[in-house]
Order: sequence, then structure tokens, then C-alpha cells
Amino acid sequence: MKQTPIISLKKICKVFPLEIGGQQQVLFDNTFNVMPGEFVAIMGPSGSGKSTCMNIIGALDSATSGVYELYGKDITTLLPDELAKIRNEYIGFVFQNFNLLPKRNILDNVMLPLMYRGLPMDERLSRAREMLKLVGLEKFETYLPTQLSGGMKQRVAIARALAGNPKLILADEPTGALDSKMGNEILKFFKKLNKELGITIVMITHEFEIASYANRVIHIYDGHITYDGPIPKNESVLLKSEQRAHKK
Amino acid sequence: MTFYDIMHESWLSISGNKMRSFLTVLGIVIGIMAVVVMVAVGETVQQSITDQFSSLGTNTIMIRAGAAQSAGVRTGNRMTLTMDDVKYISQLPDVAAATPMENSGAQVVYGNKNWSTSMVGVYPGYATVQNIEMEYGTFLDMSAIRNAATYAVIGPETAEELGMPKNPVGEIIRVRNTPLTVIGVTKAKGSSGMSSQDDMIIVPITTLKKRINGSRFPNSVNMIALKLYQDADNNIATEQITTLLRQRHKLKDGDADDFQITDMKQVMETMETVTGYLTLLLIAIAAVSLLVGSIGIMNMMLVSVAERTREIGIRKAIGAQESTIITQFLSESILISFIGSMFGLILGVGLSQGVGRFILHYNVPFSIWPVVVSISVAVVVGLVSGVMPAIKAAKLNPIDSLRYE
Repeated sequence: MKQTPIISLKKICKVFPLEIGGQQQVLFDNTFNVMPGEFVAIMGPSGSGKSTCMNIIGALDSATSGVYELYGKDITTLLPDELAKIRNEYIGFVFQNFNLLPKRNILDNVMLPLMYRGLPMDERLSRAREMLKLVGLEKFETYLPTQLSGGMKQRVAIARALAGNPKLILADEPTGALDSKMGNEILKFFKKLNKELGITIVMITHEFEIASYANRVIHIYDGHITYDGPIPKNESVLLKSEQRAHKK
Repeated sequence: MTFYDIMHESWLSISGNKMRSFLTVLGIVIGIMAVVVMVAVGETVQQSITDQFSSLGTNTIMIRAGAAQSAGVRTGNRMTLTMDDVKYISQLPDVAAATPMENSGAQVVYGNKNWSTSMVGVYPGYATVQNIEMEYGTFLDMSAIRNAATYAVIGPETAEELGMPKNPVGEIIRVRNTPLTVIGVTKAKGSSGMSSQDDMIIVPITTLKKRINGSRFPNSVNMIALKLYQDADNNIATEQITTLLRQRHKLKDGDADDFQITDMKQVMETMETVTGYLTLLLIAIAAVSLLVGSIGIMNMMLVSVAERTREIGIRKAIGAQESTIITQFLSESILISFIGSMFGLILGVGLSQGVGRFILHYNVPFSIWPVVVSISVAVVVGLVSGVMPAIKAAKLNPIDSLRYE
């Protein structure tokens, strides 16, 4: 039986109006699928359009043209509140700078998406505690984010992302604010989640070493997808794809 | 989100900025407290006036001598009323009782104590006109008037100030060297805030004029007070009195009245209207402070939205809908306003009742409507102050909000 892709982008374009007048296109006909259980890295240099691509995948922004199907459902033209519901049900976010609520303890932070889903309190508590145990922070549930290390904060963010039992984890430069040791720990944890629990992960990064933790890389350069395939042996393959796109 | 979630989230946000929240709440506390106190002041003044008039009764009419006009100019008090006028007015069909009244200050002496009070010379009808009841002894009768008897009826406060026995009937007091025998003590009416009817000496008008004041015009009268029967019409009675007095004073058509008639019902209605406007004015002034308080809430909420832009972005990213964000910010501003209103209400009621009872010794009326108004104002002020910041928060773009530093 043919599997439904979790993410299906068809000829996605994104154009931003400029304040000085005119407009700038940042994505050109981006087309790719992400199947359930994949660990995909979207890679590209700064300004390549990978963050814009992530915002569209994360239902934080809408494409100017093209079709975006999330788990078989066309969400291209949904209204902001409908997109909020989609984010809550289907997507778990892990951000570069954690984005935890600083004045709430970590248990409250992990429970937050479940509150917006309208789950009863006892269910929220048990689910959040389960996730904190999964990330090894069950003894810190009353701590404030400011009392934790960077790596611990990111693990809280992962617990929050997993709490809603999403179809997809979307990680935007998840190791960007961490030292290399902590960063490796987080990436290993992602790998474990993907391998052992079969969670689909899409990770945005500009570093090849980080992208190499994934099973597949989509390379974006100047808004165009220049490479989409398994992780190459070295970065030069990706750089060559950039040069080829540049010549075109 | 459940109601508990909304309140919990609001409380956490408010308590997260204690000093700022406290100062914002304080603005509403002062506003509501001012409104409650001003309402209490207005109602107290109104109550006081109503008490004063109800002790007299609205079917009371006062006639003052003088006030004749000459070429459009009031010529002031003239002794135009006489004891005979009182007699004829008493015979009018609507008049239940009438009495002349002559007021005077009095330094009264009893034993080695003395007390400065007011004295009034009257007819027996005064008891009916002023609704006077006796605690001890009797009131003045007509024979005391005819004989200019040296009798006095005193108020309970006067008796107390002079250190008289509990039942002072038969005791002698002296006013300007005139010995007066106390024949009765009136029942306490209670202080009505402005003047006390419990501290006065009532004597026959003839005694006051002839024996105490040594008046050269013993037949003239300064003022006549009269009480109408309950079913009498004040306007008709006033017309009858005017006609009678004009005939008796031989005034021609076109001549101005040489007396002034004051209908207490009209006076009370006028006073009530005036105090009603006064109360409204006081409330309007107090409402300005409430308005300032509500601007304080709006300001705080706008600052809060700016400060929490990133938080709003996070909430939206993980699934908060626009309506949820609006509800959260509105509930925060309503909660602030509600807390302020409740404290303002408690302080306002406490202050007005406390000052009234323990300092002014007056029962300040307590009405339920400041409570209803406070709660309504809390919700309205909270909603109005919070709606703009809440919409602003809800409309924030989650991508921009997440990037906000």
C-alpha cells in the first residue's frame, strides 16, 4: 500500500513585499516529500531560504503559490486559527534558542501545548511527566528554565514538542545555542527518537556535520533545491550542487 | 482552555510583575473607592435632609414676617405678623395646628452649671407641628401662654449637659436671670447631622417676649409654623393662607405680600433635586480617577504585550489560536480591574461607614448599588482597557514574534 507522505510540497514559491517597494522571491518551485519515519536535514547557507521553507512546513507561514499537504491534507489556504490547530495537533517545534516560557516551571512549559489542545489536567500532567522522563528531566519538573543548562533547556523543548504526540518534529538549528558536546547529545537524542520511536524529524541547519546525523539532506541555495538525497560523504557534493545552480 | 486555565494563566502573568500590577490595581482601587465614598457622601447628605424634613413633616408650612417689596427692592424683615394672624390661620379648615415661633439664643444656668443653647417661644401647637413627644412631664398648654408662665420644656441633651436629675420635672433653671420651672423633657429624636432638636429650651412665646426679652411689641410675631392635615393639599392651603393674610393686612391688589410662605414639601423636593445633582457631580469627579485608573490598565497591558511578544509567538507556534490570546489578555485586564474594584469597594465602604459611625456619629446609608456598579465597572473597564492590547497581541505574526529580542 502506498504510504501518505507527512510533508508534500508541490512547486512552493514564497514572495515577500519589500518596504522600499517591489518584492523579493525567496523560494522557487520547491517540491519534495517527507515520508513517515524519515530524518531529514534542510541545509543551506544563510539567506538561502531554508528558514522560510521551515516556516511554511511548520504552518507558521503560508506559501505565495504551490500546494502544501501535511499528512495528505492541503493546508495551503487555511486561516491563521486553522493553522494554529494544525500546529498544535501535527507539529512539535524545537527552536535554536529553546523558546521556553521563562516564568513557568518546566512541567508547565511541557504541558502548554496540551492545554491549548483542551486536555484535562490529569492527562496533561501524566503526559508531561512521561515526556520529562523520556528526556531524563523528571527530577527537575519544578525548576524554572533559567535554572537549567542549555542542553537541559533544549531537552525540555524536545519534551514539549513530543508532549502533543505530533506526526512531525521540526527543529530549527537545534544545536545553534549549545556547545559541541551538548549539541552532539541533542543530535544523538534526535537520532534515538527517530530510530527507536519512529518519529519523523525535519531539521534545519547550515552545518554539514549536524546535517550528517540525518538520513537525507535537502540543500537549498538562493531559494532553489539544489540537492535532495542521502547524506553525501562530504560537503563538497553539496557545494558543487550550489555552483551548478548558480551557473543556471 | 478551561476557565481555570484562563484564570491560572492570568494570575501567573499578573503576579509575575508584582510591583507593576500592584500600582495598576492601585489606580482602580482609588477610582472605585472615590466613587463609593462620593456616593456615600451624596446619599448621606440626602438622607440627612430627608431626616430633617421628615422630623418636621412635609405637610409643614412656615410663614415669615416681612419681605415686603418697595419699588422692586426687598425691604427686609418687618414685624408684619401678629398673634391674631396665628389665631385666624389656626381656624382654616386644612390647618391641624399653628404656632408662632420666636427664636433666641440662651445661656441657661442650673445650679453651678451653665450651657449655651437655643430657645424658642411657641404655642402648644408647636408640639404637633414639630412631632414632639414627651419623655417626662407635659408640654406647654394655653393657660401657660395666657399667663406668660415661667415654664420651660427642655430637650434631653440640654438636661444632660446641665447635669440635671434623670427626671428633671420641677427643677428650676435660669435664663437671663429669669427662673423657669422645667415642666417636661422631650423624647430624644437623635442628631440629624446639622442641628439637634434634642438640645433646646421651649418656652411660652409670651414668656419669652414679655419676661425674658422684654419686647416692645408683644403682639408681633416673627414666624408662624403650621401643620396641615395629612390629606390636605399644600398648594390649596398656601393659597388660603395667602388670601387670609392679605385680607387681614389690608393689602391692595398689586401690593406685594408682606410675608413669605415656605412650603416644606417644595423645599424638600428642591433640596433633593439639588443634592441629587450634587451627588452626580461628585460621582463624575470620582469617575475621572476611575478613568485614569483604566488608562493605567491599558498602558500596562500594552507594555505587557510589547514585553511578551516572544511569549505570544511561542504560544501561537505551539497552537494558541487568536481567540485564545485575546481571551488571555482580556482576562488579565479584567482580573486586574476586578481585584482593584473589590479592594476599592471594601476600602470605600469601610472608609465611609467608619468615618460616618466613629467620627461623625452618623449612620451612613449603605446601599447595594455601589457593589453592583463596582463589579460592572470592573468588567467594563477591564474589557475596554484590555481589548486593544489583546487584539494587538492576537494579531502578532508568530514568525516575527519568535524573532523578537
